[in-house]
Amino acid sequence: MAKKTYDLLFKLLLIGDSGVGKTCLLFRFSDDAFNTTFISTIGIDFKIKTVELGGKKIKLQIWDTAGQERFHTITTSYYRGAMGIMLVYDITNAKTFDNISKWLRNIDEHANEDVEKMILGNKCDMEDKRQVSKDRGDAIAKEHGIPFLETSAKANINVEKAFMDLAQAILNKTPGRDSEGVKGVDIYTKEQGSRRCC
Amino acid sequence: MNLCEIVQARLAPDEKCLVCIDGVDGSKLAVSLAIVERRGDRALFIFNNQRVPPVRGSDLSLQKVYPVDLDLKCLAAHEHNISIQSGKDNLKFDIPRNPSTHDFFVQLKLAKDLYSQSAGFGLPASFSWLDKYRDQLSKESNSNPFANDIFDPLGYMKINESGPKKTAASKSKSLILPKSGSNNSLNSLTVSRERSPHRKKSPSRTKVKSTIAKSASKESLDDLDSNSEIVETLGEIQKQFGLAVGVPPKENFKPGTARDTLIEYFLHDRESEFTDIQHLSVFCGTWNVNGKLPPDSILEWLSVDTEPPDIYVIGFQELDLSNQAYIFSDSQKEVVWQEKVEECLHPKGRYREVKLIRLVGVMLLVYIKEEYYSHVRHADCDMVATGILGVMGNKGGVSVRIQIHNTSICFVNCHLAAHQDEIERRNQDYRDIEFKLRFKQFLPPLTIREHDIVFWIGDMNYRISDLDINEIKDLIAASRYKELVMFDQLTKQLGKTDVFRGYSEQAIKFQPTYKYDTGTDDWDTSEKCRTPAWCDRVLYKGRGIEPKVYRFHPVLKISDHKPVSSLFKVEIKVVDPKRCKKVYEDVNKMLDRLENDYLPQVELDHREFFFGEVKFIESQQKDLTVMNTGQVPVTYEFINKLDDRNFSKPWLKVGPNKSVIVPGNKVVISMEVYIDKNNVGDLNSGKDTLSDILVLHLHGGKDFFISFLFLLLNDVSTVYGTYVPSSFGCSVEALVQMHGPIREVPVATLLDLEQPGSLSKVDVAATGGRLYSVPKEIWRMVDHIWRYGRHQDDLFQQPGLDMEVQQIRDCLDTGSPDLLPGSIHSVAEALLLFLESLPEPVIPFPFYQSCLECVNNYLLCKQIILKIPECHRNLFHYLISFFRELLSNAEHNNLSIKSLASMVGEIILRAPPSMSSNASRQLRKSEDLKRAAFVYHFLTSEDYDE
Repeated sequence: MAKKTYDLLFKLLLIGDSGVGKTCLLFRFSDDAFNTTFISTIGIDFKIKTVELGGKKIKLQIWDTAGQERFHTITTSYYRGAMGIMLVYDITNAKTFDNISKWLRNIDEHANEDVEKMILGNKCDMEDKRQVSKDRGDAIAKEHGIPFLETSAKANINVEKAFMDLAQAILNKTPGRDSEGVKGVDIYTKEQGSRRCC
Repeated sequence: MNLCEIVQARLAPDEKCLVCIDGVDGSKLAVSLAIVERRGDRALFIFNNQRVPPVRGSDLSLQKVYPVDLDLKCLAAHEHNISIQSGKDNLKFDIPRNPSTHDFFVQLKLAKDLYSQSAGFGLPASFSWLDKYRDQLSKESNSNPFANDIFDPLGYMKINESGPKKTAASKSKSLILPKSGSNNSLNSLTVSRERSPHRKKSPSRTKVKSTIAKSASKESLDDLDSNSEIVETLGEIQKQFGLAVGVPPKENFKPGTARDTLIEYFLHDRESEFTDIQHLSVFCGTWNVNGKLPPDSILEWLSVDTEPPDIYVIGFQELDLSNQAYIFSDSQKEVVWQEKVEECLHPKGRYREVKLIRLVGVMLLVYIKEEYYSHVRHADCDMVATGILGVMGNKGGVSVRIQIHNTSICFVNCHLAAHQDEIERRNQDYRDIEFKLRFKQFLPPLTIREHDIVFWIGDMNYRISDLDINEIKDLIAASRYKELVMFDQLTKQLGKTDVFRGYSEQAIKFQPTYKYDTGTDDWDTSEKCRTPAWCDRVLYKGRGIEPKVYRFHPVLKISDHKPVSSLFKVEIKVVDPKRCKKVYEDVNKMLDRLENDYLPQVELDHREFFFGEVKFIESQQKDLTVMNTGQVPVTYEFINKLDDRNFSKPWLKVGPNKSVIVPGNKVVISMEVYIDKNNVGDLNSGKDTLSDILVLHLHGGKDFFISFLFLLLNDVSTVYGTYVPSSFGCSVEALVQMHGPIREVPVATLLDLEQPGSLSKVDVAATGGRLYSVPKEIWRMVDHIWRYGRHQDDLFQQPGLDMEVQQIRDCLDTGSPDLLPGSIHSVAEALLLFLESLPEPVIPFPFYQSCLECVNNYLLCKQIILKIPECHRNLFHYLISFFRELLSNAEHNNLSIKSLASMVGEIILRAPPSMSSNASRQLRKSEDLKRAAFVYHFLTSEDYDE
């Protein structure tokens, strides 16, 4: 058995309309940086970040997806391996919020049943251009029983919290290694092997 | 019945129990350990005793069986306490001290020797006979595969300083009281549990001894007979099994995983950022006591300074010169001397013992002020014997290592080879100690040189040479030590040879400490009349050591050596948890960044490909350049998306579709759009569209989506290209309805015409038109060949030119010019290509099988032709008539009926796509013959009529 460098590996996925700031959120979380130029993600990218939660070293593998509509069908094939999904909309663009339900349907159809979800209303630093109130975000999240946060990758608001909360939610479900937890991790590792994109 | 016989009752006839001892395992259950031999191969059996003592074989239940191989290790962690290690197992047992215990060890050693010997001769041991016993064992696996893989950075970094971990040091909690502590007795009662104040008057031997046994812990097989053979065996066992001191290696692993090693490296690199310097004073004392009992007080040696030192490092040599000391690890003198030391530690300080270790007469004691005790971690000790035969304990070195805060310190006490001329022997003893000593609590075991600070003390026995004894004594009398020390064997070597490389010594400003007449300050007056020498020394190595004093203590006269002591101020690095945590997080961030940077990275010059007009059999090719802009070689591969069976549409050819690119290099991937006879049908009929997205996957990295865009008229952001429909690949049904050239037919109409069954639905009268009996494109080509080419040499045997075939295609599709361009051969090839491109061949797929089945009967063949759809039948008859006419001109065009039959058969009779690929070569060949035979009938039959 090869030596692992972490206790657990969590695979997270960022989805949402094009231009809502998925890549920026990831960039802020992994590199603590922000870039204003918009470069559309054409494909699937990921970054690694090691965090410590509950005394465990957890390696987060965060997948960033293309938001453009023509790629939606292809990106759904990446849902399956995810243990947590961040659904991002842009509070300054009502259309991206309206699409939330469509994205949720996508998750229901293609992701693992027990995947942890979280809705993020990004760009909350741009109060003057806000089109979607925080209440509406709260409401849709409550309706679906999903945690919700307003974030700003630019102003670094709630970004760390969002990822850590999602990781914590996954960790809470992961059986402890003292009991049968070892098994849970093993299965995950096995899945990794059979999946092509890891 | 003795134990051996009881075990024997459990064994097969050809197996023999050599020795068996009883003991108690970790759960305090009675066990029996037996060594069993079968044909030279030996194994260790561990039984649980169901009855104590067992009286028959059934009283033993087998717990474990281990072959005695190189993997099996026996460690004596403490006095009569051993641990057996094999593979992942690590079992501990308490064993009694009696002669059979000795036998057990001897047999174990022998078994191991035999194993390695036979392995050396290439005789592999076979332990398959153990399998039957293994099957008996209850299956239990409590091994946690992650147990060794948990890295506790906080623990490792000592951030969590509260509640010191239970290390080896914490096992000896004895508090050493200041001597004047009678008025402190109340206080001491609260702290000292193991050593009560009354022990000074009546030392409680057992208690003291057990404390020492725990902390000193040299394996002690006390009841061994005292003969030299056993002494040798002892050494051998020690060497063979690594009978070691210290606690089992559990906690103080060096970090194991790749990342942890990196974290350790970077933390160490940035240590100064999160550590503060604290100064501790270290007292190093060494004394060769010549086997004597301690005098009333040794305060004159240990407590001459006004301020109490923070750490005491006290080394003795020749503590016990009795013969027994060579054999037994237990020594009365050890206890007496230790008590005396503890009595005479500085009265102003309160000290705790950190470690005691003794090799025969070489003993090292380390004490630390109580206030620092909780900061001492990972205390460990080891010893190396260099005496008689290189293994005896009369000479050698013992060592204690500790970590205080973030600084590791190693103390070595040694007794090197004696005699004036044995300088090289002494050097060798030094090397043996330096290179053989291992602190086994660590994995891999730590060496002396892996410490920040080393103090090396002892009776090193280096003498003053090349100078007459009287001159020496004169120089001493004149206190001209600076001149005299130039003749010291150690001084001469220090810094010039490999001996004590890196070590320093303070200037010696005291007279030689050897050799005096006992009880006096007089030089040796015995008949040997030894030359005075500075045998007893204190050396040091490392950063942040400030030497204070170096002196001898002539007041103590019991030995032929005078005690020596030295004081140092050392820098201790103290971790600031807050800053350390920040650096730790920093390092982790950096490692994450590195990891991200080392993911495969490439740059693509195109994410989207736009093609203009794409025509049948007209290739268009573009390049995708993939540049490796990352740090690591990249393997890219186009992967299937979703449930697709191929990574691209059939009309898109990509190459190379998988390759490796080294950093800085690039690969040009050719993207070719080519519509051929196999895929033109689906495009004409709208089943397929000319657009695609490819997924370019980097192994271990990201995926790129590469779009091929056509016909996206609504999307202003994309340039569009389009497939230009061609009559090539249209169905016969559609073609016979199509009046004008195909380019003039609207796309929508075209798609309607291509709907299956469109011909039967069409109301010919209503449209005012009529149906062609054969597609006009075929008629034009056939007519052209008949008119201009029926006498053409090698007709249908020479290939046409691609360019001309494309011109012919355009001519057919646009209707102009009237005359087909190109040579006859090109027209002939275009005709064949046209027929091949028909989505449904001339004889439609459903009839293929029955045609092959009736090739021997012309009548049946004709009947099949009657069954095929009218437009196909018309076309069939038209083509056959044409080819018959050509054959009648065979004298000019060289057509042979055989080759024509096989060529035409292949084109008009095509196997359905479902069965085309999986036929064997032989089967295919027979199908070819049958197809030719089928056409042959029609081409040759006398009674053929339309």
